[in-house]
Amino acid sequence: MPQHPTLHSLLDETAAAHQDRCAMSTASDSITYKNLAQASRHAAHLLRAHGVQRGDRVVISSPDAITVAVAVHAASRAGAMFSVLHEDVRDSPLQHVLQDCEPAVIVTDDPGVSATAQAHDVQVLTSQELRHAPAPREGSHLPNPPLGVDGACLIYTSGTTSLPKAVVSTHQQVLFAAQAIQDCLAYRADDIVYSPLPLSFDYGLYQMFLTFLAGAQLRVGHVAEVGPPLLRALQDSKATVLAAVPSVSDRLAWLVRRAKNKPALRLLTNTGAALSEKTIADLREAIPTLRVQLMYGLTECKRATIMPPDGDLQRPGSSGKALPGTEVFTIDDDGKRLPAGEVGQFVVRGSHVMAGYWRRPEMTAERFHRRDGLFPELRTGDYGWMDDEGYLYFSGRRDDLYKERGFRVSATEVEAAARRVEGVDSAAVLPPGPKTGHTAVLAVVTELDGPEVLARMQGLIEDYKIPRRCVPVPHLPTNHNGKVDRQALTNLIHDPAHA
Amino acid sequence: MSLNRADVTAAMETALNKVLDRPVTGLSGQTRLFDDLHLDSTTMLEMLMELEDSLGLEVDPEELEADDFETVDTFTDFALAQLETRNAA
Repeated sequence: MPQHPTLHSLLDETAAAHQDRCAMSTASDSITYKNLAQASRHAAHLLRAHGVQRGDRVVISSPDAITVAVAVHAASRAGAMFSVLHEDVRDSPLQHVLQDCEPAVIVTDDPGVSATAQAHDVQVLTSQELRHAPAPREGSHLPNPPLGVDGACLIYTSGTTSLPKAVVSTHQQVLFAAQAIQDCLAYRADDIVYSPLPLSFDYGLYQMFLTFLAGAQLRVGHVAEVGPPLLRALQDSKATVLAAVPSVSDRLAWLVRRAKNKPALRLLTNTGAALSEKTIADLREAIPTLRVQLMYGLTECKRATIMPPDGDLQRPGSSGKALPGTEVFTIDDDGKRLPAGEVGQFVVRGSHVMAGYWRRPEMTAERFHRRDGLFPELRTGDYGWMDDEGYLYFSGRRDDLYKERGFRVSATEVEAAARRVEGVDSAAVLPPGPKTGHTAVLAVVTELDGPEVLARMQGLIEDYKIPRRCVPVPHLPTNHNGKVDRQALTNLIHDPAHA
Repeated sequence: MSLNRADVTAAMETALNKVLDRPVTGLSGQTRLFDDLHLDSTTMLEMLMELEDSLGLEVDPEELEADDFETVDTFTDFALAQLETRNAA
């Protein structure tokens, strides 16, 4: 029997040990472990009173992290699966989610979101109703609680070609992933973990579970404070850990370079995309106490590999080793396992491989492949190689790979090479296609001119991988995940000013 | 040389043209940077960097507060106060 069979039992055990310690805070609010456990217990009764049964779905759309935390644990107690949506998911993307998972209840204060929900016969609860739900009658217990093998959450991820689909995780899968990550990152009870991403991103959501495993405090940043005010927010919150993505780290590097007082960070983690070596070096120089842990993963298993602290210094370019108790290897196009050093598709095995995609049996069978028809293995769609010691080297997503001049090229690799050129701040590749005149185009943020960047890339990667065209741009447009928005970038470089 | 509010607004429009890569004109004091102009945390910093160049603004990262980045007015107040401190120094 695992230590915490369900998400809410993790909260309850941490609350029993750390009663009045602050579990979570935002710029304007905070809640203790005891109060969070109690509020979610009351809210669970409210959900059941609104007809939420075991196995039902509860959608949460709130910019307030504490409301989300209460709702997540209330849904868990009621045996329902929660799905946390970004507040920008509205109108037709929201309709898609509501039709796809048919929630019994949505938690929101947004009039537009409420209207869409009501049009789909979904009951609306406000954050006030949820956070201040009345105490149930003395001694009343919720019947029919969930098992560890029941669904706990739905995380919507966008595909390149199809509508967003939800990755379904059971309680056990979430908790196994969180515990394995915590074994690598070792958050401490006295840590204040700053998450610049809201809980609608799985990176943000898991920060909550990691924090609870450690009995620490999670400080969730607001979009308005993770830009220029980020340094101030880290100092004011006394953060010791920053769960970053590359764009956040790049901003922090710029800010700390010119600040007199440095934040007291002891650990920075990175995921989402490769972090530039220059940014890491700048941050290390400015904050001597800082250690860095690079990671790689995808929602379908949450996290695949993690670097030991500062492991990037010994093994530049690697994203670390498989989580404890799991394995990662590569396969060829026929599904045959490849030896170390050979490039292939990464496959992940372990108890953190999630259940599959909600109501997408074909897609689930393809991505969550069952070897011999039985044993689940996640075929990630990501490519790269493993070294002899089990360290992972990412070379690109399947859709990041393109062919030019007969060679298979990884956009990720070309971008990394461009960023190593002195004077280049950031870079993105648009693969060959109708809109790029069928040649790859390298977009760079730099003071240099295009041909000069290409010339300086010689020697950094094979010549055939260097795109023929390089266009300096004022900035790289990014989407909500902080990843480059290639569509917007295509439009940007076709602006007559850059022709 | 001392700058007035109109100068700051004009410099913001120029900076935003560049950062957002689209024409930005007719900013009013109440224009909200996140909700109306759809700036995000990255473009917000880029705007600030542009204004450092164009206005000779030199910000102290430890002084930057979220409230200053709410509207054109709050940002203008912040920028003018920073410029004044600097001229006085």
